[in-house]
Amino acid sequence: MYYRIEAENLAQLYKKAALQFEELPAFAVRKTAMEWDPISYRELYEQGLCLATALIELGVDARDHVGLFSDNRLEWILADYAVQCCGAADVPRGRDVSNAELIYIINHSGLTVTFVENIEMAKRVLALKCQLHNLKEIIVLKDEENIPEDVRRFKDVYHIGKELREKGDRRVEERMNGIKPDDLFTLIYTSGTTGTPKGVMLTHSNIMSQTRNLPGKHNCNDRSLSVLPIWHIFERVIEMYTLSFGGCTFYSSVQNLAEDMRNVEPTFMASAPRIWEKLYERILKNVKHSHWMRQILFHTAYFLAKHYKSSEYFLTNTNLQVKYLPSWKRILLMPWYFIKWLIVIPWYGFFNAAVLERIRMGAGGGLKITISGGGALPYHVDKFFNNVGIPVLEGYGMTETTPVISVREKLNLIVGTVGPPIKETEIKIVDLETSQILYPNSNLPYNGKMQRGEIWVKGPQVMKGYYKEPELTDMTMKDGWLRTGDLGVITHNNNLKILGRSKSTIVLKSGENVEPEPIEMSLLQSPYIENCVVLGQDKKFLGVLIIPSLPDIRLLGFKELTVKEILNNDIAMKIIRNDVKRIISSANGFKKHEQIRYIGYLTESFKVGEELTNLFKLKRHIIEKKYSTQIDELFKEELKK
Amino acid sequence: MEFTTQLLYPIDQALLALMIFVIMLGMGASLTINDFKAVFRSPRGIFIGFVSQFGFMPFIAFALGYILKLEPAFAISLILIGCLPGGTTSNMFTYFSRGSVALSISMTTASTVVAIFMMPILLNLYSVGYTSQITAQLQAAGSDAVFVIPTGNIISSLILVLVPVIIGMFIRKKWADWAKTAEDTAGFMGMIVILYLLFTAFARHGKLFLQTPVEIYIGAISIGLVGFFFGSIVSRLVGIAPIFQRAISLETGIQNGPLAFAVILLSFSEPIQSQMVWLAILYSTFIIISSSIITLIYRKVGAFDYDIYRNTLIHNRLFGEKYFTHYPKNFLPKRIAKDPSQGNAPSQIRDLQGNPNQ
Repeated sequence: MYYRIEAENLAQLYKKAALQFEELPAFAVRKTAMEWDPISYRELYEQGLCLATALIELGVDARDHVGLFSDNRLEWILADYAVQCCGAADVPRGRDVSNAELIYIINHSGLTVTFVENIEMAKRVLALKCQLHNLKEIIVLKDEENIPEDVRRFKDVYHIGKELREKGDRRVEERMNGIKPDDLFTLIYTSGTTGTPKGVMLTHSNIMSQTRNLPGKHNCNDRSLSVLPIWHIFERVIEMYTLSFGGCTFYSSVQNLAEDMRNVEPTFMASAPRIWEKLYERILKNVKHSHWMRQILFHTAYFLAKHYKSSEYFLTNTNLQVKYLPSWKRILLMPWYFIKWLIVIPWYGFFNAAVLERIRMGAGGGLKITISGGGALPYHVDKFFNNVGIPVLEGYGMTETTPVISVREKLNLIVGTVGPPIKETEIKIVDLETSQILYPNSNLPYNGKMQRGEIWVKGPQVMKGYYKEPELTDMTMKDGWLRTGDLGVITHNNNLKILGRSKSTIVLKSGENVEPEPIEMSLLQSPYIENCVVLGQDKKFLGVLIIPSLPDIRLLGFKELTVKEILNNDIAMKIIRNDVKRIISSANGFKKHEQIRYIGYLTESFKVGEELTNLFKLKRHIIEKKYSTQIDELFKEELKK
Repeated sequence: MEFTTQLLYPIDQALLALMIFVIMLGMGASLTINDFKAVFRSPRGIFIGFVSQFGFMPFIAFALGYILKLEPAFAISLILIGCLPGGTTSNMFTYFSRGSVALSISMTTASTVVAIFMMPILLNLYSVGYTSQITAQLQAAGSDAVFVIPTGNIISSLILVLVPVIIGMFIRKKWADWAKTAEDTAGFMGMIVILYLLFTAFARHGKLFLQTPVEIYIGAISIGLVGFFFGSIVSRLVGIAPIFQRAISLETGIQNGPLAFAVILLSFSEPIQSQMVWLAILYSTFIIISSSIITLIYRKVGAFDYDIYRNTLIHNRLFGEKYFTHYPKNFLPKRIAKDPSQGNAPSQIRDLQGNPNQ
């Protein structure tokens, strides 16, 4: 019952999907909560061919680059179909792109034709036209009136192609046959967390290896909900993957997510940690405000689930194995966990059915799996959902690897790791300073497991290189091995665990290396902290800048209306300080040098596109620049000494 | 087997009474007036359910008692269990077995009401042979009493038990948020009391488990299993959709256990009361285990047809009532593609008028 289309390139995938799934809905667009417009595989493909013909007519050659500056919408996919079918590659980016980036991307990738989402976006591009050397055609995706001159409407372009095809134009088919596995399907400019945009060249064989190797069993009964930006490679691969098994992708948005989850009842979904954090907070809040009997039921249910799952993980060898446990010890411990499992199961059975199912309903109730990517999932959130029975599979990857390197599997679900590398993919752990291979290394204990170092990856998903940046490419890739710049270890049951970005590593004056991410993630457990950034490069001790979460502090009874006012309230500040101390303590496994000495506050929330990437990761260099005065203030005590 | 001491101490009886009250309250809290109306809207499933609940189950109980050569008191208890209506537990199991919860609720509602007169009739009908045996035993022991099924008492205890159900329904209507909590609490209470009874029985009459003849265990376990089997076979033969098959199967096998205790304690007296209660305890215990296992099996077997059902249902919900989900050739297994009653969403009904995929 599980079927996945295998193809050599995206255009072929589109064609095969249209032949195989015909009238099944491929995508659905939200009109109102209960009213969605479906488009079938066949329609999508036919319209894509017409549009591709039009692109050829407009002068797009094979292996050309076509811009696609838009957020999620159906026309995006149609434009992508067209670009792929005429053998070109797209250069996608969201609407939030800055003007400087826009100029850089359009010129660097040599765009002659570009799609833009709406008139506003078209006007922005037109205003920059004198700086854009080759750009000739701008096509507006959204159907709007009063479009400026020199700009084409999506509809009109489509009709050009449609007429040509009706007259028997079959140039598209020739183009499709001419696509080679090594041709680019996309050129993605990442601003990432550091530096100027880099054009990541991803080939058809890259993406086809992903749809082939992602673990999971799906079929055309699956519904996927799309909330992440489509121009982000993670969301895009998941959509292509969904096409390969005949599922339907429903375009939702962050605002409508909760509602759409209930109506669409997705069975599959690409998600970012932020989504789960929010849902987690909402669930806990709801529990807090419910009847006391419900609270008791919930806490009992969660307690049982925790113990049930922990014994299940131990018995199936899927617990987080950071310390080596010899197999004889494991066998000796088995009976204990088995008895625990037996005792818990009847109670768990009941509470699972009566209480936890209600929580799962909040996520639509039908989720078979969901992959979380684009950032680290906080351990407590991860544990919560997997205990409750929503299988959140954390994956790991980067744009340069199209993106999935490793992902947890449903039957081998180890909370706290990002799973084993997917098929055809190799990983090694390399010492940052000496470049010695730590894993696999038979000279080290346990073949180098639990040795921390930089993750290097090799596999069919690794990019062709950075566009027009051979030096940068050579720095990043050696003999097919890509240096990810992330720190990790291999656990004793062969799963990858991420420890942080090697580049965000804070080196204290004492020479101790600190990964800020785990500390920040733990701090976010405190309801009173909305966001925070841990600092301390070349300092004696760590400091943290905190954005207090006003609504949650007000729940304690404080009357202050703004963050600024609350900062003057000593009692409220003491609560936050104590929370920081409580969370980042030796009791919670933080080493002495990881503990926080200085606490400072910011009054404004971090914004996506400014301090945060689209996937809510901190842009550290931006934060350091923007808040340099606050940071100096934070560490002023140290300067005095 | 004989009971030399009383099986239930007064405190146990009080606990049982409390449990029955709370569980029935919980059952009421899970019902609305609409559930009663729904019964008349989809009479087909309910009718099949009715036949298997009141037609097959009592007969299965009777046949088991006959084949296993049970003592009269146990046989009567088994028949009584066979004549019971369904309980709310079956709704939960149906939900997790990916069956139609709506049908399960309707069947529970309908059978509870119908049971008021069906149960005494059926009980009298099937236990004729056993009552005379008991009378003969009593007379052999030197008493001149004549044993009859206490029909009047049974009816009044059934009606008495319906009182908390009505209170529960009232709570649901008044405080809808509260109802779900009441329902879960009730289920939790029920579990605790059953386990308590089992453990105390174990502590006090540890030998009882060993003394109980194996036939009684077989009877207590198989009445549920045979019920599941018949419910499933009959509904499948009639050609009803898999999601309804699973609901009917579970509803047939799972009886309203607490109701059994209520009827036995309120209507029957020693010397047979303890024996009857013992069988009811065994049934209530084993039915939870066996229905859990059956549910897991159904859940696995039914995953595919349920996915199709949900998917088409959601397509119709979001793309409009007239939307038809065309599956690729050979995707639907023959059993589902040709099933004339595969669900009631328009896309499924259109299958009747000629599925273009075939």
